Amino acid sequence: MGSVAPSPPRPCAQSTETLSAYADGDLPPAETQVLRAHVADCPRCTVSLAELRAMSAAARTLERPEPPPTLWAAVEGEMARHDRPWWMSLRLFGWGALAGAAAVSVIALGLASWRTRQASLTLPTPATAVAQVTTVDPLLNEAEAEFARAAAAYERSIEKLRDLLQREEPRWSPAERARCAERLAQLDEAIATSRELAHRSPGDTVGNEQLFAAYQQKIAFLAEAVHRGGTFREGGPPQ
Amino acid sequence: MAVKPPHTMLGVSAVRAIEGLLAPAGASRGELDDAALIAAIKRSDPGSREALYHRYKRRVYGLALRIVGPIDAEEVAQEAFIRIFRGLPKFRGDAALSTWIYRLAVNAALSHRTRRAGARLPTDDGQADKAIEAQPAEEPTRGDAVLRARLERALVRLPAGYRTVIVLHDVEGLEHEEIASILSCHVGTSKSQLHKARAKLREILAADGITAAELEDG
Repeated sequence: MGSVAPSPPRPCAQSTETLSAYADGDLPPAETQVLRAHVADCPRCTVSLAELRAMSAAARTLERPEPPPTLWAAVEGEMARHDRPWWMSLRLFGWGALAGAAAVSVIALGLASWRTRQASLTLPTPATAVAQVTTVDPLLNEAEAEFARAAAAYERSIEKLRDLLQREEPRWSPAERARCAERLAQLDEAIATSRELAHRSPGDTVGNEQLFAAYQQKIAFLAEAVHRGGTFREGGPPQ
Repeated sequence: MAVKPPHTMLGVSAVRAIEGLLAPAGASRGELDDAALIAAIKRSDPGSREALYHRYKRRVYGLALRIVGPIDAEEVAQEAFIRIFRGLPKFRGDAALSTWIYRLAVNAALSHRTRRAGARLPTDDGQADKAIEAQPAEEPTRGDAVLRARLERALVRLPAGYRTVIVLHDVEGLEHEEIASILSCHVGTSKSQLHKARAKLREILAADGITAAELEDG
């Protein structure tokens, strides 16, 4: 490095790295002086140097892109979770399930108590009993049918995502597959618990909403696992 | 400058209010502003985090985009900002805020690449880059936009280490001292990596048929 190359057309041995260092003034003074003299006589190095300078100048014109508008919301959401007191960050779904279970229990107890009181106040005649059946049951049946249709739609979505996941999983490491299976087992357990709660009070909105929330969690997790591969977020799907 | 309290505003207006608050008459902007913004964040002033986000979002996202590619850039930028906000209470100001932010962003990007590489077995360092290259890129049709697009693609084809140094130095305009601090290496290493990266980039551009004249005209 640093030797003065003969005049063209003899090939020049100067490396691009050295020319880059020369362009930035990173060479020791003695080498700089020698290379300056060489470049003045070497068309190849002159071109290379011009290319390097133009390349750096072009790099400086590259713009800093605007991030997607969803980025701040994601950061803010994550920080809000981080800022919560520790006891609030305990298994969010667990709290949701507890809240759902509590709400279902309260409603079930309330309904039972109300029905008991109603029964003790007015014993229905056969005619009023028939009327109640014809006025209440169709609504209840309709609500139950709606819930069943929604649950079936969720199940179908989950089925499709499961199929996609099965195609992806072979590419993951054993540890990732195990982590995914563990998380899915938790979600399945949550769904089973919610389903049981919902079945205890058929047609009840709270119980079914809890079940649907569990379905949504599983769908979100599966979608993320399919989308991100084995590097889905630790601790579960996005809340 | 009339400044409204930041808590009365949201979004961009909050950012502007914070920006206004941080620019006392006669004071030079830059480090002083950052220092005041850090203090505001440490006090949990409303809108202060968002102000910092808007000030650095392009730098962080741009760096993430160029190191890990478009698929994962948003995730990496999110991770970087979370590291930034979690780390700010302990930030002592030994380095400039921008240098510290670049360091966290680079670390988030490089650790993401490592995780990705580990997740895909068997793997090589080129896997992620192939994925980046496979992205459909909007191809400009004219002038310097074409050149920039080709330059971006050439950058993607550099090894990650070279790409990081050249992006920090030639694209972001950082000094070698800052890069050495960000990458926890010697200044000499940063310089030699940059010169090797440029040599490789020039090779890639030449293979792509881009000449000095085109670069200069661009």
